[in-house]
Amino acid sequence: MEDLLIRIEKRNDVPTTLYFFTPFIAIILTIIGGGIIFYALGFNPVEALKFYFITPISNLYGLSELLLKATPLCLIAIGLSFCFKSNNWNIGAEGQLTFGAIVGGGVALLFYNQDGFYILPLIIIAGAIGGMIFALIPAILKTYFNTNEILVSLMLVYVSKLILDYLVVGPWSNPEGFNFPETRQFSDSSRMPLLFEGLRIHAGIFIALAAVLVSWFVLYKTYLGFQIKVSGLSLKTAKYAGFKGKTMILIVFMISGACAGLAGVGEITGPIGQLHRMISPDYGFTAIIVAFLGRLNPFGIIFASLVVSLTYLGAETAQIFLQIPQYTGQVFQGMILFFLLASDYLLFFKIKFQNFSKNELRH
Amino acid sequence: MATDLRISNISKIYPGCIANDNVSLQFKSGKIYALLGENGAGKSTLVKILSGVISPDNGEVYLNEKNLKLSSPLDAKKNKIGMVFQHFNLFETLSVFENLSIDATEDNKSLRVKINEILKKYNFSIDLDVPVLNLSAGQKQKVEIIRCLLRSPKVLIMDEPTSVLTEQETEELFISLKKFCDEGILIIYITHKLKEVLSLCDEVAVMRKGKVVSVSQTQNEKVETLANKMVGQKLAKIKKKINISKNKDEIFKVKHLNFYSDDPFETNLVNLNFSVKKGECLGIAGISGNGQNELFQILSGEIITPNTSIIFRNKEIAKLNPKQRREYLMAFSPEDRISQAAVPELKIYENVALNNFKSSNFFEKGLVNERKIKEHSKKILSDFSVNTDNVELKSQFLSGGNLQKLILGRELITAPELLICYNPTWGLDVGAINYIHETLIKINDQEKSTILISTDTEELLKLSDRIAVIYKGKLSKIMPSDEVTPEKLGILMGGGSID
Repeated sequence: MEDLLIRIEKRNDVPTTLYFFTPFIAIILTIIGGGIIFYALGFNPVEALKFYFITPISNLYGLSELLLKATPLCLIAIGLSFCFKSNNWNIGAEGQLTFGAIVGGGVALLFYNQDGFYILPLIIIAGAIGGMIFALIPAILKTYFNTNEILVSLMLVYVSKLILDYLVVGPWSNPEGFNFPETRQFSDSSRMPLLFEGLRIHAGIFIALAAVLVSWFVLYKTYLGFQIKVSGLSLKTAKYAGFKGKTMILIVFMISGACAGLAGVGEITGPIGQLHRMISPDYGFTAIIVAFLGRLNPFGIIFASLVVSLTYLGAETAQIFLQIPQYTGQVFQGMILFFLLASDYLLFFKIKFQNFSKNELRH
Repeated sequence: MATDLRISNISKIYPGCIANDNVSLQFKSGKIYALLGENGAGKSTLVKILSGVISPDNGEVYLNEKNLKLSSPLDAKKNKIGMVFQHFNLFETLSVFENLSIDATEDNKSLRVKINEILKKYNFSIDLDVPVLNLSAGQKQKVEIIRCLLRSPKVLIMDEPTSVLTEQETEELFISLKKFCDEGILIIYITHKLKEVLSLCDEVAVMRKGKVVSVSQTQNEKVETLANKMVGQKLAKIKKKINISKNKDEIFKVKHLNFYSDDPFETNLVNLNFSVKKGECLGIAGISGNGQNELFQILSGEIITPNTSIIFRNKEIAKLNPKQRREYLMAFSPEDRISQAAVPELKIYENVALNNFKSSNFFEKGLVNERKIKEHSKKILSDFSVNTDNVELKSQFLSGGNLQKLILGRELITAPELLICYNPTWGLDVGAINYIHETLIKINDQEKSTILISTDTEELLKLSDRIAVIYKGKLSKIMPSDEVTPEKLGILMGGGSID
């Protein structure tokens, strides 16, 4: 039998600093990879990358847009981190966002011709509850019927999108809207307050920041957080310790759904101001990348949401200045995830070349 | 043509464990060979090497003196080595025929003819056009066997084939295997079931801890001799002073413990009844895979079984989960240190917090009280002589022995009235084993009770006051351990009966 030339071994000791440093490596590699792609397309890579990563945030308006798009990404990713940390693979945040927006939007439409300070809080709470309920579906099916939450939560995304579709072309469509698939404009009392005149950045960012702080506290300082951590590392141990596994699954899905619902409400009461078909450019899916790029750490997620938000902006600028489709944004998001996973692999495993003697092998 | 399969000096080392240590064996067609050993003895690794699933670090395989290079399952197929795994590799939703046609070389028409010939020849009755999910486990296995037969194999390896079969199906399988053998197929039969070896096989190789410890003719063997070879009976018989006290109170009493599982890889437990007295150690012996796992989980409350009565200190606890049972002063030390009793990625003090009993105040009002947990952990580390005092250390850096000390310390520092442990010294070095044995004896001296589920006969004879044997989910009668000999245990562990 020939000896294998390459062996892959698990590393036992991965330094924490390096663990949090690898996302930066992934980002640098993504930028290099992006440069190569631009070069292959016939652009000057330095110029193109400048359009992509610098131009969008070189003025106040751009910075506001960066934060505007980072807000839902951060909020959803914070929620997802509860699920992912406890080994629950909720990938239907996009659906929970949509359903939260539907419920919140429904409340906003009830008050379309009214004013009052109480309206916006009502909408926000309704949105959170909507997302929570929608996330409970895969959670209940998982705990009581043993279904796979990945499939169920993913399929429910399309269900909620179709419900939204039906509502905006059907019962909720704007009576004065010339049959456009959209609802009435929400009243001013239903809109998130803007932070600065002339910029789109709105008060929703405070909800996201509050979520970061609360989630840090819950994950690292409470018994619930401890149970989430243990279950994520070993379900067998959680069972042995006597943690209430089913209740915990329901709780993490509810937290995750509520965050996604809040993100949905933030979009419709913030920049959009009504319900229509395209309320989210797949924030719910992109947030999965954000959660992992941020290492499921609340503060890491802030940073990651800014980086990923920039890929959205860069894609728009690139479309305008370089006439390339804005789907390059997804290419960049994909590359980030790819390089992150690749560097993680090298972080957790070492590749050994077998040029040592057989006696050494016995250690 | 006669087939001669020879493996020479095979070694396979996984991090932290030598799965195969210089294994050499020779097989010739016309005989059925048994490869016998406990779970983790290295049988499956060897089989995976023969079927090309993994490559050995060292050593060679020769088929009819030709050196085989088995770097993928395809190589094994090309060299006419067929393999039926314990877990079936079938697509449940596809039909039998579709499953068989996936890796067939013939066109569908001639394939069907060929399959029908095999069905007829061996008297298999399987409908080729039903989805596999409608088949019984025995029929699924036949499909796997047909898949091998289609390639007219020289060698057929069966990995624990009867673990999912009924008695009837097992008999049918044995008839078929004998037929294949008569036709010149070399059969290697992997099992840990002793009776099957004796009734089916001609020659038996016993593996233990990655090594071949004996090769012999089955006609010269008995159930107990094989059992002793398999579990590694050492002759040292150090016993603790036995403590079968006449009039001590029963502290723990189990009645009508039944467990039925749909999972064919779990063992059903049939009407277990036993009790433990104050200060007593009840040993439960058995070859692994006879229901010990299930029993431990039921006693710890990870599995709740209906209609079972478990009385502990005069209270009914059968419906309580592990955390609630701990409040009544029970403690548990599972077999699997690394992925159940502790989490390697967690720090020592976090692992200590897993045993969160009420009076600990580890988590007050839902918040983590890190200071308290760390103080408590420091005490465990020093009281149970774990060789570190750094509670921030990740548990993965502790050796097996020190990790086990930490786990036992965590469980024992609450002074429980009953400790249930399962293979507490599995895989440890002699020093750590002695320490843990001394600790277990000490708690009996302090009038606390233990239930020791173990596959190590020597350990059981050394520590138990009374011993019972679990075999196929049934418990033998409970015997005072001074009346028990290794031979008696061997017979009971192999499914025999004494007196």
